Amino acid sequence: MGVSASALQLVQVDQQRKSFRIHRSAFKSGEVFEREKEQIFSRCWLYLGHRSEIPNRGDFVCRSLMGRNLIFQHTRKGEVIAFYNACTHRGAAVCWDKRGSKKTFTCRYHGWVFDTEGKLKSMNAESGYPEDINDDGHLNLPRVRLEQYGGLYFINFSDQTIPLYDYLGDYMRGVIDAINDQSASGEMIITPGEHAYSINANYKLLIENSADGYHLMPVHRTYLEFLADRFAGSKDADVAGTMKGFSAIGGAKAVGNGHYVLESNVPTGRPVASWIEPWGSVLKEEIDATRARLEQKYGKERMEYICELQKNIVVFPNLVINDILATTIRTVEPTSPGTMQVTAWCLAPVEESAAMRAIRLDNFVSFLGPAGFGSPDDGSMLNSAQKSMSGSPTEWTELSKDLQDVDDLRVAAGPPDGETHMQGYWTQWDMMLRGAETLEG
Amino acid sequence: MANTNPISRAEAEDFLYHEAELLDNWALLEWKDLYTEDSVYEVVSTDCDDPENADPTTSLFLLADKKDRIDGRAVRLMKSAAHAEYPHSKTRHLYTNIRVAGHDRNGTRLKVNFLVHRTGGDITTHFMGELHYLLVRVGDAIKIRKKRGILDLNSLNDAGQMTIIL
Ligand code: FES
Ligand SMILES: [Fe+2]
Repeated sequence: MGVSASALQLVQVDQQRKSFRIHRSAFKSGEVFEREKEQIFSRCWLYLGHRSEIPNRGDFVCRSLMGRNLIFQHTRKGEVIAFYNACTHRGAAVCWDKRGSKKTFTCRYHGWVFDTEGKLKSMNAESGYPEDINDDGHLNLPRVRLEQYGGLYFINFSDQTIPLYDYLGDYMRGVIDAINDQSASGEMIITPGEHAYSINANYKLLIENSADGYHLMPVHRTYLEFLADRFAGSKDADVAGTMKGFSAIGGAKAVGNGHYVLESNVPTGRPVASWIEPWGSVLKEEIDATRARLEQKYGKERMEYICELQKNIVVFPNLVINDILATTIRTVEPTSPGTMQVTAWCLAPVEESAAMRAIRLDNFVSFLGPAGFGSPDDGSMLNSAQKSMSGSPTEWTELSKDLQDVDDLRVAAGPPDGETHMQGYWTQWDMMLRGAETLEG
Repeated sequence: MANTNPISRAEAEDFLYHEAELLDNWALLEWKDLYTEDSVYEVVSTDCDDPENADPTTSLFLLADKKDRIDGRAVRLMKSAAHAEYPHSKTRHLYTNIRVAGHDRNGTRLKVNFLVHRTGGDITTHFMGELHYLLVRVGDAIKIRKKRGILDLNSLNDAGQMTIIL
């Protein structure tokens, strides 16, 4: 690109012309990518893992996030913490397992030993070091700031950023609550098995796509046709008819700090708690009980919000939670301007019946993931966009649909098949990139 | 009464080569008819601890199709609106080291090494691992009651997505 990215206003809004557009260097430029790492990924709360992945003392999961190797750890003392998986001696990883349970970590290189809090316990040497060498703790594995909401743990590489609770804000916390309310005990778990795959596209293309009501018919027609075939003869057979009403129910909402939620109605059935006839009557009882429990607890409106509306959620900048025909947690890690790695898990109420769990997992793989009937078609759109825009003279991406007349586009609502919510994301992205928003308290 | 005679390695090999040929030729509407009404086609996730015994009703698989979705997959992939496979990838299925692993009244079990090359656009990727089959005789024909793919991969970061059939 000819112009230096930092000299450009990469997001341009013109309320007169109802125009919202993004300079395509946002998807392509190495300079923009470096700035994103500094201004966004080093300041925002980034999803690390779920509480249920490390249920017992000593349990850990190793995860890499933005090139940093971390250990998500349930300590022997019962705390949940995160620290770097890089030996303070000469840098080797102290843990080479993906997950497990340990009392201590012994570095394979020279045998230094660390406890589950990351504290240095032994240097495996009879002599050669002063007794008080680690009195100041500088040889302990450095910790990363870690906070949780509703069992979702996030790290932050800055100690200046506002707490996670405020970062998520009222609306987003309410959405997370609505997901956790699927469980009567409030306890959700990650089921075994992950999807880990890559897409050759800028990560923001997947963030946009993960809650894009506008693309459903063009991209997912073959999936909707599959559903209609499968539901043929049942009262849920008119998939196309339901989809005609798509734009009338729910909305696409920017809910502050760049987060957004698409709330919509798609006739797939939801394990919590929207029954469809093809599932059979056994599951109907379980679903009716869930609905009754939620109605009693919160009233009809909130019950219907929890049970019926599909929620495609983005927590700025790179976490997707799709509470749709199943509930998925999906992290999107940029690895270069034009590549990303995606990791996804299935979230489920701990106490649901075996039959419901089976339906949930079946729903998940029917549409989602690298071999589903939906996600790969999305992926191919992103591959195509990344590849084709790189050689195109069109400098701007048009993201104007349903631009709202509000002062701060980061809090705005539009129809489900619009782009209002994404405009909120991009506004936050632009402000953070320029340093106009730092998220400091 | 179904014919429950064991299927020999040589018969199995001929059958698998036929399946591979249908897949490489994108004759998926014929391919789906190789599967019994109670069949499953599954690929376990790349981080699965016990790929041989994992259960798709309790763990997340990459895919877990019963017959209705085996059919649905074939029908979908033959539509031009199945964007991820438009135009169709070029594939080459290599099935080798075919072993008969057992036989009982459910059918004959096989273990098969596989390597599938796939080219989509300018990108070529490879899927490799072991396939576990359960084959049965239906009349004169051999059919698949179960096919489980176990990839020798720790993620699909090199392969991207897995839209072809193994
Ligand atoms: S690098 Fe870990 S003990 Fe030397
Ligand atoms: Fe999609």
